[in-house]
Amino acid sequence: MSYDDVEIEDMEWNNELQAFTYPCPCGDLFQITKDELKLGEEIARCPSCSLYITVIYNMEDFSGESDHKSKKSIEPSKQQPVAVA
Amino acid sequence: MEANERVNEEVQEQEVWSWGAGTEGQLGTGYPQDHHFPQLLPSLSSATTEPISFLSCGGAHTIALTPSGRVLTWGRGTSGQLGHGDMVNSLNPKPVDALQSFILDAFSLVEMAHLASLGMVITVLGVLLSRHVEQIACGMRHSLALLKGNLEDHVYGFGSGKRGQLGTSRDRIQSISLPQITLGLEDNKIASISANGDHSSALSADGHLYIWGRGFGSTTDVYCPHRASASLTFTQAALGWNHALLLTGDGTVFMLGGNHHGGLSNPQKTILVKHTAEQSNEALIGRIPSLDGIKVLQVAAGAEHSALVTGKVNFSFSIVFLSLADFSVVDYLYFVENGVIMTWGWGEHGQLGLGNSDDQTSPQVVSLGQRPSQECTRSNVYCGSGFTFVTRTI
Repeated sequence: MSYDDVEIEDMEWNNELQAFTYPCPCGDLFQITKDELKLGEEIARCPSCSLYITVIYNMEDFSGESDHKSKKSIEPSKQQPVAVA
Repeated sequence: MEANERVNEEVQEQEVWSWGAGTEGQLGTGYPQDHHFPQLLPSLSSATTEPISFLSCGGAHTIALTPSGRVLTWGRGTSGQLGHGDMVNSLNPKPVDALQSFILDAFSLVEMAHLASLGMVITVLGVLLSRHVEQIACGMRHSLALLKGNLEDHVYGFGSGKRGQLGTSRDRIQSISLPQITLGLEDNKIASISANGDHSSALSADGHLYIWGRGFGSTTDVYCPHRASASLTFTQAALGWNHALLLTGDGTVFMLGGNHHGGLSNPQKTILVKHTAEQSNEALIGRIPSLDGIKVLQVAAGAEHSALVTGKVNFSFSIVFLSLADFSVVDYLYFVENGVIMTWGWGEHGQLGLGNSDDQTSPQVVSLGQRPSQECTRSNVYCGSGFTFVTRTI
């Protein structure tokens, strides 16, 4: 079960982690990357525990954005079109 | 003479224990790892070192105060929250040198505050320096300050206010960066304030609980302080991220919200009592059934777990209570406390101290070494987001 529903504007961009973050009750941070958001992923996970949150956002806000901050090459699988229900 | 001194030394001896999430060093054990069993902290537990008079635990860091005003911090420091002048974690308690020579009085009044950020403390004191700051409390992203005046008390809020946790506006606001007066408390003498997650609360001197911020349970957000119960009065309030623990003058614990408490993966089993069913948008305040007959001296709440200290009070003391003001009662209860620590709630990081990572829906006794709890004159429990501290005087 999702621990909470959190709007993307309530999350903070963390340069070090290259991810949007939100405090987890364990003391660590729920995290979701721009790449994940582009793909329509709405679950932000905590690396330290079993909890996760549902991120509320507009996928269009991220689909056109170039990921210039990330030096990692985008994997081919992530460039595939995403089916939107 | 020598014998007397030895007795005094023994009375002064304090043990400090910690358990739960510890990967950022917040347990003060010197190792960045979780502990499912209570750990005795030798560096803080000694007759030769100064005792800890007050502790406050944030998301992953801890701040401690000694009677002489020394401030120690440890745990996560990546945002500078340890006040050591760097941005790194500290696995062991380290003094905050910058606080050695000032604001000690203010810190000594921080009792019952839940500090989330040392930086916030300095902000409060800077902005409100011309008034008497009695208490401060920090939630996930907001702060409260209680200012005592001769005629009236004022609670100030600043930081994130999206869920109503500042109480400074009847409309929805994003955030404010300067303290503003919380509305609707002006006519009350305020005894204490609390904050955690997106919740805020204040207890009036006559024991009425006011809450504002994110709604508990399935209730909607509350933008101005709202009296939580018409029929009950309380002496302590401890806020979690989704629940609140409330203590009455006779040592009974009530829980507000907490529908999932002790069961982030399982439905919660607490029996809810309809104490506040007068209004439909009111979260239910429920008594914890398994605590029937147990007097409780102190409550503490982590993000998703709870802790308490039990006491023993015989019948005649209860009679005395009825004729005394609340604060006198609390002091009196401490004198006769039994000192058993109980925990319940989310347990994934061992924050319940029961030796495993299980959740618990009802309070369980934590074993702190072999020493009988009756030998302890005073125990205090403090909760961070996913960890727990106990100080006890032997």
